[in-house]
Amino acid sequence: MAEEQMEEAASSSAAASGTPFQLQFDKPIPFQIKLAEWNPEKDLLAMVTDDSKVLLHRFNWQRLWTISPGKCITSICWSPDGKIVALGTEDGFVLLHDVENGKMLRSIKSHDVAIVCLNWAEDEPLSRTDKEDLLSYEDRTTRFFPPAPVMPRIGGLNSGDTGLADENEEAIQAFSSASCQRFNILCTGDKDGCICFSIFGIFPIGKININKVPIHVQSSGKRTSYRLQDVSISKVSLSRNLHQLVLLCSGKLINTDNLSLSNDLSVGVHCLHLDTSIFSNRKNELHQVSQQASSIQDLVEVVRASISMMSKQWSNAMNLFHEKFSALPSLLTAHGMESSSEDEFMSLLFGTHTSPALHQFLVSSLGEAGLKRIAKTIESAGRELRIVVSEHLQPAVEIISFRLAELRGLARWRSRFQNIGLDEKLMDGVTERVGMLVVQVERFSRVAATVLYLFQNFFSWVLKCVKILLSEPTDQVPSTNSELVVIFLKFLLDKDPIKQLVETDQIFEWDIDTAKHVEHLVVFGGFTDTKFLERSLAKQFSELEESLKEAFLMPFTTVSSQIHCQGLLPLYPVTSSDALSSTSTPASIAFYKEDKDSQHNASSYSSTDYICFKIPDGSLNLRNFVAVIKDLCNSCSTSSTPSLSGFLLHIPVEYECVDLSLYKDNQVVLLLSGKSSSESAGRSWMVMLQTENLSFSQLSRTFPANYYNLQELEVLELQLDTDYGKVRSIPHPLSTPLAVSASRGVACVFSSRRHALVYILDEDEDEDEDEGSEME
Amino acid sequence: MRATAWEHYGSAPMVRMNTLVYATCFADAASSSELSLAYVKLIEQLAVFKGYSAAFCALKLAEEKFPSSTNSQIHLLKMQLLHERALHRGHLRIAQQIGDEFGVLSSSVSGVDIELKTEASLRRARTLLAAKQFSQAAAVANSLFTTCYKYNMQVENASVLLLLAEIHRKSDNAVLGLTYALASQSFCKSFNLDLLEASATLTLAELWLALGSNHAKRALSLVYQSLPMILGHGGLELRARSQIVLAKCHLTDPEFSVSEDPCAVLDPLNQAAEDLQVLEYHEMAAEVYYLKAMTYNHLGKEYEREEAAARFKEHVTALENPRDEEDSLVY
Repeated sequence: MAEEQMEEAASSSAAASGTPFQLQFDKPIPFQIKLAEWNPEKDLLAMVTDDSKVLLHRFNWQRLWTISPGKCITSICWSPDGKIVALGTEDGFVLLHDVENGKMLRSIKSHDVAIVCLNWAEDEPLSRTDKEDLLSYEDRTTRFFPPAPVMPRIGGLNSGDTGLADENEEAIQAFSSASCQRFNILCTGDKDGCICFSIFGIFPIGKININKVPIHVQSSGKRTSYRLQDVSISKVSLSRNLHQLVLLCSGKLINTDNLSLSNDLSVGVHCLHLDTSIFSNRKNELHQVSQQASSIQDLVEVVRASISMMSKQWSNAMNLFHEKFSALPSLLTAHGMESSSEDEFMSLLFGTHTSPALHQFLVSSLGEAGLKRIAKTIESAGRELRIVVSEHLQPAVEIISFRLAELRGLARWRSRFQNIGLDEKLMDGVTERVGMLVVQVERFSRVAATVLYLFQNFFSWVLKCVKILLSEPTDQVPSTNSELVVIFLKFLLDKDPIKQLVETDQIFEWDIDTAKHVEHLVVFGGFTDTKFLERSLAKQFSELEESLKEAFLMPFTTVSSQIHCQGLLPLYPVTSSDALSSTSTPASIAFYKEDKDSQHNASSYSSTDYICFKIPDGSLNLRNFVAVIKDLCNSCSTSSTPSLSGFLLHIPVEYECVDLSLYKDNQVVLLLSGKSSSESAGRSWMVMLQTENLSFSQLSRTFPANYYNLQELEVLELQLDTDYGKVRSIPHPLSTPLAVSASRGVACVFSSRRHALVYILDEDEDEDEDEGSEME
Repeated sequence: MRATAWEHYGSAPMVRMNTLVYATCFADAASSSELSLAYVKLIEQLAVFKGYSAAFCALKLAEEKFPSSTNSQIHLLKMQLLHERALHRGHLRIAQQIGDEFGVLSSSVSGVDIELKTEASLRRARTLLAAKQFSQAAAVANSLFTTCYKYNMQVENASVLLLLAEIHRKSDNAVLGLTYALASQSFCKSFNLDLLEASATLTLAELWLALGSNHAKRALSLVYQSLPMILGHGGLELRARSQIVLAKCHLTDPEFSVSEDPCAVLDPLNQAAEDLQVLEYHEMAAEVYYLKAMTYNHLGKEYEREEAAARFKEHVTALENPRDEEDSLVY
């Protein structure tokens, strides 16, 4: 079957006047593909199937991995370095997966509804020419600290899970170190009109709701403000210098000055241009802050996991202990005695007498073996505790405090960091809190050590007693300190200081001497909050978390408030019935470097945005049209030279546009599929147009007389034998998606008969080489 | 103790935190000398970050807590603080006196304590520098450098080099100073002494600035480099100094115009003035107010200019005739 088709392809290529695009292969695939995206760095293609499986294929179609995240995936994109694939899910999660093995690195809930589009843009090193502004900033942490601790593993029974978790952690480690190389921002747009920005894909830095963004439009000297309602974003694209963001969204345009003006027509697809220059202007600062802050957040997770694990370990051990020793009070009551177990042990210790109840408890219900088992459990729990503290908790807290100190230093540099919202006061507060946490950890380890020693002492004493009661030799048992036994009986038999420390709402009692001491230390620059020792470790930690959250929220809100809408271009109206489907109409946004004339602005290059989209049939009374628009951004900023321009492309009636994409060097790649009714059913064409050869006509920006003025644009008839660009026929009925990679020069198309075809766009079929080069 | 290491690496909050951990958790277990060391560290921190009055207040308490006269650490600290304050206030005679005392302490009957000795000569050099006796200061510093080199004291080495650079800067010999500053910087780099490195970078910037206004851009980038470090971990004095240099860079830069961006100059100056107020450092405060008056003059704000000028005069007179010399030894 495949051979036959290959033949067919070959014959059709021979029939056509020239065959551009070298066909790499044509492979059947067992899935229906919903989304596909090429890796920008390597020849890898990530695809999402209809049932939300994610596949990663190599260029030679060898499959690397398949994962099924168990959630409905609605969007996909690659990180700029090609190491991470980001998936947006229907319930508003962004999942970051490692390219090597498909393991999930992060899962971040940033939206409430489905994430429709993702765009991950990296700052271009070329865009910075002024050297003296360059801040060489070095993360000193790596010089002073060993690698950051990872989450503690839960040893013992459930080793099945830990194997996976462990590898996952390694991946996270690699991820956090690798991702901080160059500044990049992931933007995610959702169905409800929210756009989130996160640096490195992990540190949230801003969120804007398009529904709430005021849009000011200058028209004939008058300033009108609009607002969009019921926005659903369909496409976002951040320019490569991070200066501007172009997005396509559907929604209802409302004149906020005059509400009565809106009508049915105002529901439509609009193109917005947002000013995100905060990202590029404050790039270094944001980079530094996010680098520190994201690793602090990582470490906070480590601390949380450590504390919860310690709590679990210890409570397991203590449960066993209490289970065994709770038999004693019931035995005492059974023997009709009113004394407590503490009294009984005391009298045993001081040799007055051994009550029958205690005798029975020690010899029969507890027994030597049982005692030894408890002792062993508690001892191993204690060992675990010590390991967790020394290998995870303590270093994690220390690195957090170091990084916070660095952040505080940055916060003091007000002229630079205040406008991205790093607040000195908040940072001071957090530093204070983390200092207290360090003290708490130290105290915890001391308390734990003491408690464990007391337990050990107590158990060997009880063991000795049991041996004496059974009249066995006691020379094997280590000697015990009876004073410590008393302390144990007094303070530990019923209480559990370790548990108190690791559980949240316990108030820990602390003796007056220390309290005084702490108050005294305030004069020497100690913590002003003298009550902090009363709090438990867990409580202190949650307070730290809170203040961290508050401190990091400041940059978030500050940056969010500095993203403004710069311009609006209504594209086409949609009737509310197909408002839903409008999100799925093919569209593509790209930024190209434009070589401006030297007299213009010689030093800096500017990037021009191209927006290419299909106009749904019937809208604007147009049928089978594709529009290409360029220079929205520049036309908004400099009103003196209205450069906004574009053209309409009329597609032959027997074909329909399935998908389209912008390709490098200002090209547009269109996928045309024959309509089922026409004679060309089952045949498709891939067309690449050089937009420079096409005539752009100016588009006036008059508001609000005519919302949609795309009709003004010049119409070009697309003929398949046109010499505007390259055309290749494909012997399959095609379906979405079209995956084009500008950096790799490849395209992958999917047929509705479950075939994947990969073409190399830059190379033509060998036999037609001469002709192909001619066309270029 | 870890705190000392952090002091050298340059992370002030870490010093404070580690010391506090020690002072809180091991208060019952530690020996009194160790504990007093912790307190000394805390007081040092106070002096650097909160000014002298707070530090002396704490010092009093510490003396009550450790009454034994044998406690040399606290005594030493007291002298250090007095010396610093005297230098800042411009009480040179007292500074001299304390420096001599240091010298006596360092070569006591029990043998020569090399660390103390280096500190004594370091302080002597600084006193001489403050008294504008540059050649003598340079001589002392040079001999100190050879001693440090002989005993492999890297931290001291770097700081002595820095001091030499400073001496040359003040004696208007910037080119010679540059070499010292660069040497100090590379020294610090190889030993991870970040804070010292930052201050070396700052000195470097000052030196470039002294070479003429066409080096302002270079100086500015140097200041930017060291600023995060200094603001985060440096003491009041260093912070104020960096702010002054920042403002100076802007002012000397021929491409920079004050009227366009007055905040770029005034902000750091205001901050520096605040810090120096706490520190009672008259010399630098006078400089700040001088620069402020100049800036306001450029901006044409007469009233503010007069105010700044008055403050400038105040500090200069305080520097020239130390009125309250007698209370400098008490606290």
